[in-house]
Amino acid sequence: MLIYILKRLGLALIVALTVSVIAFALLRASGDIATALAGEGATPESIAVIRQTYGLDRPVVVQYFAWLWDVARGDFGQSFFFRTDVAGLIFGKIGNTLILGGASLAIALALSIPLGVLAAIYSGSMIDRAVTMFSLLGQALPSFFLGLALIMIFAIRLRWFPASGTDGWRNFVLPAVTLGYYITPPFMRLVRAGMIDALNTDYVRTARAKGLPARRVVFKHALRNALVPVVGLVAVQLGLLMGGSVVVESIFALDGLGYLAYQSISYRDFPVLQAVVLLLSLAYVVLTLLSDIINAWLDPRLRAA
Amino acid sequence: MTAITTNPPSRAGRAFRRLAHHPSLLIGSGIVLLMVLIAIFAPLIAPHDPYVQDISRRAVPPVWYEKGTWENILGTDQLGRDYLSRLIYGTRVSLLIGFSVVAISGLIGTTLGLLAGYFGGKVDTFVTFIVTVRLAMPVILVALAVVALFGGSMWVVITVLGLLKWDRFAVVVRSTTQQIRALDYIASARTAGASTAWILLREVLPNIAPQLIVIATIEVASAILMEAALSFLGLGVQPPLPSWGLMISEAKSYMFFSFWLIAIPGTALATLVFAINLAGDGLRDMITPERS
Amino acid sequence: MLKPLLSVRDLRVDLNTRSGVLHAVRGISFDVAPGETLCIVGESGCGKSMTSLALMDLLPRVARRSADEITFDGQDLTRRRIAGKLRGRRMAMIFQEPMTALNPAFTIGDQMVEAYLYHVGGTRAQAVDRAAQMLEKVGIGSARSRLGQYPHQLSGGLRQRVMIAMALMTDPELLIADEPTTALDVTIQAQILRLLKDLQQELGLAIILITHDLGLVSRIADRIVVMYAGAIVEEGTAAEIFDRPAHPYTRALIDCIPQPGKTERGAPLGTIPGVVPLLIGRQDGCAFRDRCSLAQPRCADDIPTQDAGSHHWVCIHGGQA
Repeated sequence: MLIYILKRLGLALIVALTVSVIAFALLRASGDIATALAGEGATPESIAVIRQTYGLDRPVVVQYFAWLWDVARGDFGQSFFFRTDVAGLIFGKIGNTLILGGASLAIALALSIPLGVLAAIYSGSMIDRAVTMFSLLGQALPSFFLGLALIMIFAIRLRWFPASGTDGWRNFVLPAVTLGYYITPPFMRLVRAGMIDALNTDYVRTARAKGLPARRVVFKHALRNALVPVVGLVAVQLGLLMGGSVVVESIFALDGLGYLAYQSISYRDFPVLQAVVLLLSLAYVVLTLLSDIINAWLDPRLRAA
Repeated sequence: MTAITTNPPSRAGRAFRRLAHHPSLLIGSGIVLLMVLIAIFAPLIAPHDPYVQDISRRAVPPVWYEKGTWENILGTDQLGRDYLSRLIYGTRVSLLIGFSVVAISGLIGTTLGLLAGYFGGKVDTFVTFIVTVRLAMPVILVALAVVALFGGSMWVVITVLGLLKWDRFAVVVRSTTQQIRALDYIASARTAGASTAWILLREVLPNIAPQLIVIATIEVASAILMEAALSFLGLGVQPPLPSWGLMISEAKSYMFFSFWLIAIPGTALATLVFAINLAGDGLRDMITPERS
Repeated sequence: MLKPLLSVRDLRVDLNTRSGVLHAVRGISFDVAPGETLCIVGESGCGKSMTSLALMDLLPRVARRSADEITFDGQDLTRRRIAGKLRGRRMAMIFQEPMTALNPAFTIGDQMVEAYLYHVGGTRAQAVDRAAQMLEKVGIGSARSRLGQYPHQLSGGLRQRVMIAMALMTDPELLIADEPTTALDVTIQAQILRLLKDLQQELGLAIILITHDLGLVSRIADRIVVMYAGAIVEEGTAAEIFDRPAHPYTRALIDCIPQPGKTERGAPLGTIPGVVPLLIGRQDGCAFRDRCSLAQPRCADDIPTQDAGSHHWVCIHGGQA
């Protein structure tokens, strides 16, 4: 098991490095950064100065390894736009994104598990159809449209929650609902399908034969097994969550990583963008690994392997 | 037993009867078809030129509002352009992008999946690796960055999304191909000396076609939403092109006064994506035999 | 005969299918006395498993149960509340597939104590003691350590023993065993059968054994019910059925049992030609007539039930025809 984890960690590192190479190559291939940084009407002299200051006059490969060497030592460089340390910048904002992500995930699970179970128990009925429609609607509503609609209703009309900012927990409610509903459908489908399978298994029949109350049969015996694949989905959904957070954080002007990433793109703040991309790809591979480990823990049959 | 002779129903008749058993497919594909027709015949349907600005008629509300007029059924936007006409032309942008992206991503993903599933071994290891790399890339960020760097145009958006969104195709095609490869008739085709390309294109591909169609519908819907999100963030299709995402973005600053500027393209977007997914769901039900 | 523990009158099970209503069980009646072993035998698809699931109210969702009477110790089992109190408490069930009948996510001990705690109560420690005791009773050594194991760590035979031990946790009076040995190796089959027999004598347990294997039945049954196409075609004591089988179908089943000494090595085992009729729609006359060598035109009419003491059969022919 330990060897397996180490192997996977190694793979995670290689994957993250590959992503960073691609990101690096893409950014450098896109034109002259120094010219862009200097802004319109800059003299050739000032461009040359910028080029030298940021080491942009070196070959791309050298630049990459220099960057990698710095990153390995924990130095992500200086932000072009904010003129501060990138690591500090990210560190200051990552908390908000984690809160948003965690709250959205909690909302998604709180919606999808009961609704998925309900749809599975009454599969084929009107309840099932209503739940399916609700999930299809969640897939179809663009998160920015839902976000703006929520602002219109709950921030402007009802004044229950603020429309933007990052001052307190109230600021997170509308973004978390937007993002949570956005990632609910895949979870709901998985819970529903898993529960339909689980309710038809022999061990659920055994549990019923033991005379256990329906609640216990559904929630202990069936749900436990139906939830195993959901853990795996959490990791995969991180990508969706991150993409969604870029959109949602910019609508609600929530000061998190997604908003920072969006700003870094708008301002061509490459050190920040590179760091965020590297961080997200690392997070993805590590979370996938983590979900595999949790799966093994949830399913005793996999534990020995 | 008395044998009752009946005429075998025609192919079309059978297909129609199967369709009738799947109302979601019927409704979904009906709406999509309607949208496709609207897109094709946009110049004939649209009451006005979607690009002509009329400063004297800015932000006129739709006809059901007190100040609305039949001249502009859905009102006008902040530059005085007819909103219905922009909405109709926006169908073109969404559908064109949705289908073009899937044409590219489907080709890439299917090719990779076929190769990995059929050859296995090192090819499979390699493809699995690049799929993992692709999954580890934050799509929205990379897409936003590329559009920011190369400039926003419809073709840049199509290319970048096409080059990014092939993962689902690759994963599903790979596993399906693995299953099909193990079947007897592929083995006999191999021993009969059929070329690999022939086997892949004539034997394997037709057998994974149903799954491909289902993924394609999901991916068209997803690409349409993604284009809208990119355009909304200002890093997708550029003005004055009428993209629904862009229309919402442009209306953002007016939302306090005229929320319908956001609600109308938002509803159109949701309806189209909903219909495509509904059709995809129905298709999946139709091709997967019943469980019980 | 003693006052019956279980009484079933006119039990019917209908399944809705695409091609119509399938009558899986067509109005059967039987009794089980305390401490006796009743075997319900028949080919697959004859409705015997549906009968056992119907008694426990475990039918699939597409199935509908109806009956004039199902009583357990005088209590009405068709009433949900009463059935809920008896099921898993005074009547227990074990199944054919020991590999899948246990939940893979929980330990043996966890699954054994849960029904006991729910029905009987007491502390967890008491329940665990009881579980260890039951495992020993079904012949599982080092019972304590087994309680912490997961189902996948046990062999099929062991799992079936665990299933039996689990069913006996609440000290039931009736055990319904649906093909309990079919999925097991022959040597294990014999062990499990021996175990059921011993437990029955020790605990005074009534058993309903559902099986297609008459060889098995001959070693354990007190009374036998033979089912064909959803109906009972013959019923009697083990001696009556084996010594004086009256229904041609019963005789055909008995002829299929390989007998040491008589059956030649390598000789094909007996089979009954033909197939079980479709169970959709009405069945007029004897359902077996298409496969019966003694069939006559009047087999298509209503068939009378013939009796000889405790021995009943549904056929136009007399006992030794």
